[in-house]
Amino acid sequence: MNNFSSTDEYIASEELMGSVNIAIALEKPLLIKGEPGTGKTMLAKAVAKALGKKLLIWNIKSTTKAQEGLYTYDTIQRLYDSQFGNEGVDDIANYIKLGKLGEAFESEEQVVLLIDEIDKADLEFPNDLLWELDQMEFYIHETKRSVKANKRPIVIITSNAEKELPDAFLRRCIFHYIDFPSKELMEEIVRSHFDNVEENMLKNALDTFYEIRTYSQLRKKPATSELIDWLNAMMIGGIDPNKIKAELPFVGVLIKKDEDLEVVRRRVN
Amino acid sequence: MFTTFFYTLKAKGLDVSLSEWITLHDALNKGLNNSSLTGFYYMARSILVKNETDFDKFDLAFEECFKGIKSENTITDTMLEWLDKSDMMELLHEEARSFLNQSEDLQVDKEDVETKFKDRLKDQDSEHNGGNYWIGTMGKTSFGNMGGNVGGIRVGGSTGYQSAFAVMGARKYKDFRNDKMLDNRQFQMAFRKLRQFSSKLDIPKTELDINQTIDATCNNGGYLKIVMDKPRKNAVKLLLLMDSGGTMIPFTKLLNELFQAIHKSNHYKDVKTYYFHNCIYSKLYKTPECENGDWIDTEWMFRNIDSDYKVIIVGDAAMAPEELYSDTGNYRGPNGGLSGEQWLLLLKQHYKKVVWLNPKMAPGNAPWREAETAIKNIFPMYKLTIDGLNEALVKLMSR
Repeated sequence: MNNFSSTDEYIASEELMGSVNIAIALEKPLLIKGEPGTGKTMLAKAVAKALGKKLLIWNIKSTTKAQEGLYTYDTIQRLYDSQFGNEGVDDIANYIKLGKLGEAFESEEQVVLLIDEIDKADLEFPNDLLWELDQMEFYIHETKRSVKANKRPIVIITSNAEKELPDAFLRRCIFHYIDFPSKELMEEIVRSHFDNVEENMLKNALDTFYEIRTYSQLRKKPATSELIDWLNAMMIGGIDPNKIKAELPFVGVLIKKDEDLEVVRRRVN
Repeated sequence: MFTTFFYTLKAKGLDVSLSEWITLHDALNKGLNNSSLTGFYYMARSILVKNETDFDKFDLAFEECFKGIKSENTITDTMLEWLDKSDMMELLHEEARSFLNQSEDLQVDKEDVETKFKDRLKDQDSEHNGGNYWIGTMGKTSFGNMGGNVGGIRVGGSTGYQSAFAVMGARKYKDFRNDKMLDNRQFQMAFRKLRQFSSKLDIPKTELDINQTIDATCNNGGYLKIVMDKPRKNAVKLLLLMDSGGTMIPFTKLLNELFQAIHKSNHYKDVKTYYFHNCIYSKLYKTPECENGDWIDTEWMFRNIDSDYKVIIVGDAAMAPEELYSDTGNYRGPNGGLSGEQWLLLLKQHYKKVVWLNPKMAPGNAPWREAETAIKNIFPMYKLTIDGLNEALVKLMSR
């Protein structure tokens, strides 16, 4: 039986592990939401690694169509080939290319499929995938062949809540909202990223980080990934840990917006 | 009992479908909750609730249904009330805390604390604060909220959580509720609703549809066959009229966010913004400072900004009745011979779609806010929350 627990590089809260295991057991897609930088995308990688399965990533962009995940029919290539009378032109199957979802279905072994940032796509996008995710099969009209999953892939979907997802789609998912990690959990997460981090540096950096997150005027609060980058920068730069609170070295790594930098500087001085 | 839970969830406004409910039972049959109530809480939540804005509703329903269960961990409502004193936290200085810590129970192991907690939970029958045995606030035993003790169990309060009831007690997801005031990102999300692709409109096919052309050409044996399509562009034009200064000052940040969100959603065909003070009269200001002279004629706006612009008016509609009804009611600038109400009616006449967003709207018809009630009769008014904004945008898009 598949069972997911935290890995060396990825520290998951108990509830998150629970949700992952429920989604695997019920064979339903797991929908992950949360503040940017809380490790939504990392989760799929960790799950794949923990279960020893191959990871397929389908990155969604604003122009992505559901069809691209299933298969594309390369008509242009066929047109070119037909001009020169190449071999195999008469067989449409040669010009059908499976998308990430198709690849996941055709795979001999069970894979982990990450559908990253599903909310980037058009509003109708999730609805177009309902049947395929439910039944784990689709039909290629051009060749009259249906592609059915050999082993139901573990599907993980991330969303930044830029668009609301349709109800019909949500009903089929297991949902988990990644809370912003508590200080204790954060300490563990940081340690998993660095082999040896100086105690004093870690403590001062975390204190400052959580202090900054309480400033309500900030437009974009710094998140885990920014903290990691910040610590990394300070360690490479050889910053004196005692100066972190007062001087905020490399604060640009933590805070990305001009207005926010202004706020932080004002509060610190 | 479970069916009750289903209906309680519905009663709390959670739209749980039958298929999700069956999935939950499926999960129960597979024993995925690890036979614990806490496990059940997280499992049920991940299956039944699909939006963090609904977590709070789920918490309330869960508490209502399961607080009666004879679980040793159960913390009743009243007990949480006793403990809900988190605003007193600030009174507790570092010194006092360290003093309290020295007094007793400093070294405790977890099991010991838990057993004692349960024992005392059984014994306790009244609210208790400040003592050193019972569960309550400000005390120095190992249990309860805000006690200075470092090693004890916390109930409610603002730190992390372990058990389901601790989470519910904290009502951690309260801030995510839909009816709360919203932030910029949520504004932006809402404004994405406001789009109308002109391909749905009745316009000529002027754009070359490359994909269809290629397909058609291929199907045509390689002989070119062109397919044309209607261009897909957002046809929505927006006119934003914002109340500025005076009673709106407390909402400056909120309005700023709204303004930013609209300008970041750069998918509109056009956005025009003007400002007013309290009510709309013969002049509209170009800047939020509302300085006399830096303005346009409201009639110029009627002439130059088409009636198919969708109008969003943002204001608290808090004004004296004469500011609305008198034709000399504008105490900051010219009235133009008409009362505020007449100007609003002209606006309503000219533009097909107008909504009013109010950051501090009173529910129903509030007799003590005469002007607001009168304006509600002219324009559909919505509270400036996620729900309110969504409703308003749906109203703007309706035909």
